[in-house]
Amino acid sequence: MRSLLASLALLLAWSPASAPAQTCPASSGFPGAAWTDASAAIAAARTAEIKALEDYMFTLTGTDAERKGIRTDSVVIIQGGKLVYERYARGFNPDRRHIAWSVTKSYTGTLIGVAAQRGLLKLEDSICKYVPEAPSDNCSIRVVDLLEFASGIDWKEIYENQSNQESSVLAMLYGQGHTDMAGFVAGHHRRDEPGTSYQYSTGETTLLAAVAAGALEPTLGAEWPWPALFDPIGMQNPVFERDARGHYVGGAFLYLTARDLARLGWLMRNDGCWSDQRLLPQGWVADSTKVSEPIKKKTLERADGDVQGRQWWINTPVPEQNQGVPWPDLPADTFMAQGHWGQFCAVIPSLDMVVVRMGDDRDSTALDLNKFVKLAIEVGKKP
Amino acid sequence: MKTAKFSLAAAALLLALALGCGSSRPGYPYSWNDLRLISSYTAKTACSCLFVMEFDEAACRAYAKQEPPIATWTVDRNAKTVDASTGLMWGARARYMGPKFGCTLE
Repeated sequence: MRSLLASLALLLAWSPASAPAQTCPASSGFPGAAWTDASAAIAAARTAEIKALEDYMFTLTGTDAERKGIRTDSVVIIQGGKLVYERYARGFNPDRRHIAWSVTKSYTGTLIGVAAQRGLLKLEDSICKYVPEAPSDNCSIRVVDLLEFASGIDWKEIYENQSNQESSVLAMLYGQGHTDMAGFVAGHHRRDEPGTSYQYSTGETTLLAAVAAGALEPTLGAEWPWPALFDPIGMQNPVFERDARGHYVGGAFLYLTARDLARLGWLMRNDGCWSDQRLLPQGWVADSTKVSEPIKKKTLERADGDVQGRQWWINTPVPEQNQGVPWPDLPADTFMAQGHWGQFCAVIPSLDMVVVRMGDDRDSTALDLNKFVKLAIEVGKKP
Repeated sequence: MKTAKFSLAAAALLLALALGCGSSRPGYPYSWNDLRLISSYTAKTACSCLFVMEFDEAACRAYAKQEPPIATWTVDRNAKTVDASTGLMWGARARYMGPKFGCTLE
């Protein structure tokens, strides 16, 4: 009998039907159309912690015109599937959309995960399978290379107040590449073989969105990000801007509320599941939140603040690049989406928490991210 | 015969030139000057501020301002477009494309 069971188990393990079970982990719960509001109890119990957080995050320096210091527009804290704290400033409220800047990249990476889960794309595929207009000498770039900023495309990620004519990102968003951004990025020469070096690039993730479109648009239509991801996780009113050719600007131009951004964090905290629906492949979140291989090999330009995971910043050192722990006071499993002017979505699985902050910090050195999230954890952590 | 040969050579040269041009690839430094980039940035940023973030015009003038503040812009609320320029040249237009797609630079 025992041997019969053993062979049965072996048979099951062998059978293709038993390939990774598509189960979802236990969860503390998911929001419906609105987050369940549990903020009153926290407000009563954590007055000192809330004051410390608000003194730091919501104290303006100088006049609005001077654009100095920390300029927070919203903070939303989720714990145990419920909204435990939120505050808005400078004209924002729960319904007003905010620019996400590079937080958009984490959405685009997630859309690739949705395409993979639906069996419409493989990470090892050439990008030319989905973006046929890419020049043939760039067909050696695989989807995974774009996810890891490792296409090898010769690109300069320089923002305002620097040498504008040298900036590939300004040329794509506002200059000669703006009408066909995906074609503009794909048309660049490479300086490295794909997979051998890392270069943070808004262009690469915008090309990645065109890859996702190639996989998802045929079945879902032109508004594919909505049925693929935005609607299933209950986002209320996101706007995803496109170029004149209809490419979504997957590296920069998503607009959304802080509450909607917290939903992406909550999807990631729950291993890519929303209620009982698995939106991302099993193992996707783990693979996205470990140090990718190319960044260990060679890193260009931005020695600090690199995206070590697949479109997610993680709290893990990269000794090969002499990079220490990014946020020493935060749990080791913390990972984040980040954007220009101070947009953040921090996911802390070990505390069952998501912390969102949106802002308009024109001085990128104003905010101490490690300090902010630490203060937010004190406000929102489980009693 | 001589003419035919010449034509053939000319055709080959033209083809080579065409292929050469066809393989011209984008790369830095890029051609657009600062004024043109600032016009584009201003048009797109103001358009999204007005129609996507839904702030009023005064707030959007502050939001879209660049240093030095050399760009000017006007909004056409019926057409849902924003036109920006730096001086008399280098105009740019951004157009609101609807509740899901926001603004696009033309």
